[in-house]
Amino acid sequence: MYAYDTFDHAMVNARVEEFRDQVARRLSGELTEEEFRPLRLMNGLYLQLHAYMLRVAVPYGTLNSRQMRRLAHIARKYDKGYGHFTTRQNIQYNWPKLVDAPDILAELAEVEMHAIQTSGNCIRNVTTDQFAGAAHDEVADPRATAEIIRQWSTFHPEFSFLPRKFKIAITGAPKDRAAVKWHDIGLVLKKNEAGELGVEVLVGGGMGRTPVIAKTIADFVPESEMLSYLEAILRVYNEQGRRDNKYKARIKILVEDTGTEEFKRLVEEEYEAIRASFIDVPAEEVVRIRQFFAPPPLPVLADEDAGLDALAAADFRFRAWVKNNTFAHKVPGHVSVTISLKPHGGIPGDATDAQMDLVADIAEEYSHDEVRVSHEQNLILPHVAKRDLVAIWQKLDAAGLGSANVGLLTDIIACPGLDYCALANARSIPIAQAITNRFDDLKRLEDIGQLKIKISGCINSCGHHHAGHIGILGVDRKGEENYQLLLGGSGEEDASKAAILGPGFDEHGIVDAVEKVVAAYMGERKEGETFLAAYRRLGPDVFKEAVYGAR
Amino acid sequence: MAHVDLQTGEDVAVWRILEDGALPDEAGEWLVPLGRLKDEAGSLLEEKGVRLGVLIETETPHSDLAGIGNYASFAAIRFPGFGDGRGFSLAVRLRKDYGFNGDIRAIGHVIPDQAQFLLRAGFNTSEVPEERREAFVRAVNRYKHVYQSDAQGGISILRQRHDQADTRRVS
Amino acid sequence: MAKKLSGPQMIVANRLTDGRVLFLTAEGWAVEPTHSIVAHDEDEVTALLAVANADVKANLVLAVEVVSAEVGEGGVRPGHIKTQMQARGPSVRTDLGYQVSPFWEN
Repeated sequence: MYAYDTFDHAMVNARVEEFRDQVARRLSGELTEEEFRPLRLMNGLYLQLHAYMLRVAVPYGTLNSRQMRRLAHIARKYDKGYGHFTTRQNIQYNWPKLVDAPDILAELAEVEMHAIQTSGNCIRNVTTDQFAGAAHDEVADPRATAEIIRQWSTFHPEFSFLPRKFKIAITGAPKDRAAVKWHDIGLVLKKNEAGELGVEVLVGGGMGRTPVIAKTIADFVPESEMLSYLEAILRVYNEQGRRDNKYKARIKILVEDTGTEEFKRLVEEEYEAIRASFIDVPAEEVVRIRQFFAPPPLPVLADEDAGLDALAAADFRFRAWVKNNTFAHKVPGHVSVTISLKPHGGIPGDATDAQMDLVADIAEEYSHDEVRVSHEQNLILPHVAKRDLVAIWQKLDAAGLGSANVGLLTDIIACPGLDYCALANARSIPIAQAITNRFDDLKRLEDIGQLKIKISGCINSCGHHHAGHIGILGVDRKGEENYQLLLGGSGEEDASKAAILGPGFDEHGIVDAVEKVVAAYMGERKEGETFLAAYRRLGPDVFKEAVYGAR
Repeated sequence: MAHVDLQTGEDVAVWRILEDGALPDEAGEWLVPLGRLKDEAGSLLEEKGVRLGVLIETETPHSDLAGIGNYASFAAIRFPGFGDGRGFSLAVRLRKDYGFNGDIRAIGHVIPDQAQFLLRAGFNTSEVPEERREAFVRAVNRYKHVYQSDAQGGISILRQRHDQADTRRVS
Repeated sequence: MAKKLSGPQMIVANRLTDGRVLFLTAEGWAVEPTHSIVAHDEDEVTALLAVANADVKANLVLAVEVVSAEVGEGGVRPGHIKTQMQARGPSVRTDLGYQVSPFWEN
């Protein structure tokens, strides 16, 4: 993975001192809260319901064991012994003190981490496929491209005060595990006929109160000119994006209002003017960065392992874990392991300091020192030999990390909701807990199959409910928590917007409704048909009848 | 309110804003709104020793800046609030697209923490409340190297890594 | 007579240094809502806000909000679920509420 050089170290160290200075000026009153707020947000520091919240960047979701241990240490020393992994592949601490924040950033800088641009109206942490560099189906490792974008977007002099936040996601595989169509810019790595690497560029995706799926404006931009193209998009957006209404300030509204073709014309005009200039990265730098992401030297191993087969035959839970929580690796005899942070009845995405330390230990011993964070709020060991799976599972299971539910109904995305978040209208976590308790039966879950439930506690959609096969949206109805049910969304390459099924429910009713939807699917599905495929075939009426018919 | 040179921190001589309908009544620097300047530059310049600057609001479409170098010897971009990032793009456009060589000055609400961004976007000077002058100077020297090249001769780290001989630096 | 409110109101804010939730009482800011000063009309709200905003100016608190209050036998409690959450801590981590956490002692 990428290692800082003296330039990168100097940059984050200067940032720590800058923030220390800003905090001191805030505490002395030299900076007003109005002025300090965007500055603290650009260092990931929010004010939530109970305390400040610090969002630490995990660039493109990649960590080494030393970094993971530092995250655990911060949870212990400055917080309450846990952290929350987010849909943007970051980690949030729920209880840091403002006065400690500069020290926390200093601790992060020591291990080549930061909280730069994890919030604010700027270019945020670039996200990608959690299996990058390991996936059997990828064209190229998207993390090298993401690192180039990370550097270009860090403290960009022109694009640090945009109309609104700006999120870029990139996938290196045609199978989209990074939800690129739901981002302000989505990038898909491709090779042209000459075998050169480039990106397909999509713009204007986003969730929030106006969900929009991104549209392609360039089929292929050579990697060598990608930054020029991105700079052109950002310049047009910075100049023309709306600033009079924060709900209409995202680029998706500009693209819709301008029209995709005209927006594309504006971007191409600027791109033509600036391409092949000083903006782009010299080829030798691309090579330098890409070499950090060279695949680890894995030996080709046998695909079968006697110990694995023996335990799988004896232990249903282990068999299910291997089936659900492992993903095919480029190198035979290896897999990527997803560590589920979705124990039934637990808080999606939360991990204790001890669990983080354990994951760091396992990564160091069994996964070439690498851990990934997925946008689905799980942790990944990307490079694992199949013969080590038994040992890994035993260690994970003993620490409460053995849930075998990846990709199944209880692998729920949920935002922090009203339990923590100042913007939320309703709680999300208790709904996830109630659903996972209701479906606490692995055999039943496997029978139901692939089903993604995504829960947001307000219309800002941090829980991706628009992209859920089943989406749940918490709203405030006359001071009471109320939950809307949406069906048919997808965050993948077949992206679609989930549609509201009917009237909302209270916190108990929504769990019953989910169960009725699932029952209707089970009754109607054809052999091998997933929930999403069945919904697309059947339409909403069958499900409406199942949920509301008895009223 | 002081007005300082972003690179040196030294005070800059202050111009006057030419009120609607008024004419420059003495020599010196006068700041004129973009629309009026385009219409009246010829007559305004008749006064001896007058240097005209163009006052640009952040909502100005950049295309309105075409040819502005023919009228104005300096420009001032007015930030209604420090979060209005359009001012940065306007400065970039002035340098990059319209070849403007005069001073670009930031006026209105900017904060010390933006000082280096202003400089790198092409501004030369900025309005600074007196009590914030020190913070401004600190901020402008904060980052010795940066990740973007710019039209002011700043070379991105991504290039510097491969060009050790090149010692040009931002700030 | 001052204009009536839709119901009794109280003041909540966060402490600047650590974000901790505070309620405005006659004795100053408190972590418990029980002794909050309750406003019954707009003049009283204005008076409470003047006190609270003075402490914003003094860089002691931020995020001052006027929120609905319920007055009962045990004292004052917040009326809205969001403020109730602020008073108690996250409902999903009752082990971490203010009352049980030494982290917050001071």
